[in-house]
Amino acid sequence: MLSMKNISKVYQTEKVQTHALRDFNLNVDEGEFIAVTGPSGSGKTTFLNIAGMLEPFTGGDFMLDDVNVGTLSDNQRADLRNQKIGFIFQGFNLIPDLNLYENIEVPLRYRGIKSAERKRRIEECLEKVGLASRAKHLPQQLSGGQQQRVAIARALAGKPRFLLADEPTGNLDSLMARQVMELLEEINREGSTIIMVTHDSELARRAPRNIQVVDGQLADFTLYQNKAMDEIAAKAGQPAIEA
Amino acid sequence: MFLHYIDLSWRSMKRTPLVSMLMILAIAVGIGVTMTSLSVYHMMSMDPIPHKSDKLFSVQLNTTDDGNNWWTEDDVPLQLTYKDAMALHNADTPESKTASVRALFTVHMNNQEVKPFLASTRIIGHDFFTMFELAFLYGGAWTSEQEAAATPVVVIDEETNDRLFGGENSVGKQIYLDDTAFRIVGVTKQWRIHTKYYDLNNGAFNSPESIFMPITLIAPLEIQNMGNTNGWKYEEINTFQERLQSELFWLQFWVELNTAEELQNYRDYIQAYLVEQGTKSRFERKIPQFNLKDVNEWMQYNKVVSADNKVLVGLSFLFLAVCLANILGLLLGKFLRRAPEVGVRRALGASKRQIFIQHLVEVSMLGLLGGVIGIGIAQLGLWGVRFTSNEYASLATMDIKMLLAAPAIAISACILAGIYPAWLVCRTQPAIYLKTQ
Ligand SMILES: Nc1ncnc2c1ncn2[C@@H]1O[C@H](COP(=O)(O)OP(=O)(O)OP(=O)(O)O)[C@@H](O)[C@H]1O
Ligand SMILES: [Mg+2]
Repeated sequence: MLSMKNISKVYQTEKVQTHALRDFNLNVDEGEFIAVTGPSGSGKTTFLNIAGMLEPFTGGDFMLDDVNVGTLSDNQRADLRNQKIGFIFQGFNLIPDLNLYENIEVPLRYRGIKSAERKRRIEECLEKVGLASRAKHLPQQLSGGQQQRVAIARALAGKPRFLLADEPTGNLDSLMARQVMELLEEINREGSTIIMVTHDSELARRAPRNIQVVDGQLADFTLYQNKAMDEIAAKAGQPAIEA
Repeated sequence: MFLHYIDLSWRSMKRTPLVSMLMILAIAVGIGVTMTSLSVYHMMSMDPIPHKSDKLFSVQLNTTDDGNNWWTEDDVPLQLTYKDAMALHNADTPESKTASVRALFTVHMNNQEVKPFLASTRIIGHDFFTMFELAFLYGGAWTSEQEAAATPVVVIDEETNDRLFGGENSVGKQIYLDDTAFRIVGVTKQWRIHTKYYDLNNGAFNSPESIFMPITLIAPLEIQNMGNTNGWKYEEINTFQERLQSELFWLQFWVELNTAEELQNYRDYIQAYLVEQGTKSRFERKIPQFNLKDVNEWMQYNKVVSADNKVLVGLSFLFLAVCLANILGLLLGKFLRRAPEVGVRRALGASKRQIFIQHLVEVSMLGLLGGVIGIGIAQLGLWGVRFTSNEYASLATMDIKMLLAAPAIAISACILAGIYPAWLVCRTQPAIYLKTQ
C-alpha cells in the first residue's frame, strides 16, 4: 500500500543543511503493523510526516495506494489524508479551546460524518481509552497521560486505514502503555495498517515487523529479529530503551 | 459546517475578549463615522420622486443679451421673468405645467383666538399638485376656472390645518392672508420630501411651504415674492405693473412631459417662442438658448450635493480604511498565534479552503458585530447633525437602505482586512508545529 524509493529530505535553515532522511526505502503492505525505533534525531518523525503527506520530500518516489504522492496538489493531499490516514502526534497536539469530545470530533467533521454517527464513535473511543466520564473536560484539565489517550482516541475514531503513531505511549506508565498497545493491535486486526514510532523496545518487539531509522536511513528487520536490532542501536551509540 | 465555524469564531472571540473588543470597536467607530456622512450624502443625492423624475422638467430661458454671464455653468439664468412664466403657464401645451414662486404671508382668522403667524406660501398653478404628487386629506386643488378668474382660494397643509382647525375638515372655511380673506378648497397631507427640488433657490433642504395659492393672484394682489430676484440690465421700476413687465427673473417653471415625442414637441415650442420674443427686441441673442432639465439633472445642475459633501464622504471612508489597517494588524497577530492549531487541523484532514473559510467567517462575525454597534454610533452622529444643523435636520436619518448597508459594508470591510491574515494562516505547513510539543 505504501512504497518509498530513495526518499530524501533536506532541511535548509539559514546556514545548516540537515539531511533528515537519505536513500530511504520502504514497502508497507496492507494490514501490516510496523514498529519504528531509532535514536533521537534520526528522522523518525520526519519519515512519519512524509508518509502522512504532511510534509513535502526533497527527492525520490512515494506511492500511496498506487497514487504518486509527488504529483498531488495540496488539496488532493488533504483529501487523501482526511480519508485514509490517522495520526497520533508525538506532542499530543490537542486543540486547547475544544473539550475532549470536540477534539475527537475534529477529523470526523472534516470527513463529513453525520452528527449521530460522530457521537457514537466518539463515545465508543472515549470508552476504549477510559476517559468516558471526562468528555466535557478541556485538555489543560488533564494529565499528560490522559491527553495522550485523547490523542489516541482521536486517531481511532476515524477508523483510519492507515494509522501513523509517533510515540503513542511516550507519556504513559507501562500498564497504560500495554493497554494502548492492545488497542492498536485490536484495530490492526480489524484491518488498519499501523506504523508506530516507539522508544520502548518491549513494545516494539510485540509488533510483527520492526524497522530502525539510523541517521536518516533505514534498517529493516523481519519478525523476531530484535536481538540484531539492539546490536545496531548499540552501535549507533544510543540505547534502544529510554527511561 | 457553517454553523460550526460560527461556533468556533465565537469561542475564539471569547478566548481573547480584549483583542476582539478592540477590533469590534475599531470597526464600529469606522462604520459609525462612515455611515453618518454616507447617510447624509445618500439623503441628499436621493431621487426625490423616483418613478417620475425623468418626466418633470425645469424650464430655463436665456432672455439676456449675448455675452451676458450668469453663475450657472452654461450662463443660462435659473429663473424666468413674469412675462415668460405666465406666457408658458397660459400656453396650450403641454397638458401639465406650472409657474411657481414663493411668498410670505401673515396668517390670521380675523379674531382674537388665533395669534397671527407668518406662513411660507407657494404660488402656483393647479397642475402643481398632480405634477409633484401632493396627496389631499380633504378637498383638492382649485379648478382651472377658479384659477382663470383669480379667485381667492387656498390649499393649506395638514400642519396648518391642525393649528387653525384642530385637524378638522376645513374645506369651505375662511382664513386671512395679510388683509385678504381666502376660502380653503383643500388640505394636503404632510409632504415628505428631503430635497426641495422644485425650488432650490433658498436652501435645497428646507421644508416645503405650508400654504398654496393660485398664480393668477400675483397681479391683482401685487404679491411680492420671497426668494431670489435677479436682473441683468438697468430698468426703471417704480410700480408693481412695471415689475411684472420687467426683465427681472423671479419665477420657476416646471412642465410634465411623458414621452420623448412630447419632449421634442415642447422643445420646438420653446424654440419658436424664443425666436418670437427675440424679434420684440427684448434681448439681443443670435441663437435662442434654453434648458429643459429633468429632476435629477436639475439637482446636479444646482449642485445640491456640494463638493464638500463628497469630500466628507471620501474622508470618512479614509478613516474607515485606517480602522481597517489596525484590524488587519490585530488579526494578523491573532491568527498567526493560532498556527499550531491550524497545523493540527490540517493534519487531521482540513483543506486549505476549509481553514480559509473558517477564518473568514470569524472576521465576518467581527464585522457584523462592529456593523451593528456602528449603526448605534452613526445614530449618535446623525443626532449630532440634527442637533447642530437646521438645514440638514431632515437629511440626518438612516433609511432602511442605509441600515442594511451598515453591516454589509462592515462585513465586506472586515473580509477585506481579513483576507490576507486568513490566507497566511491557511498556508501553514502542518508538519512544522507537530514535531514537538
Ligand atoms: N523543520 C525543521 N527544520 C530544520 N531541521 C529539522 C526540522 N525538523 C527536523 N529537523 C532535523 O531533522 C532531523 C530529524 O528530525 P526528526 O524530528 O525526524 O527526529 P526524530 O527521529 O523524530 O527524533 P525524536 O526521537 O527525538 O523525536 C533532526 O536532526 C532535526 O534537527
Ligand atoms: Mg520524533
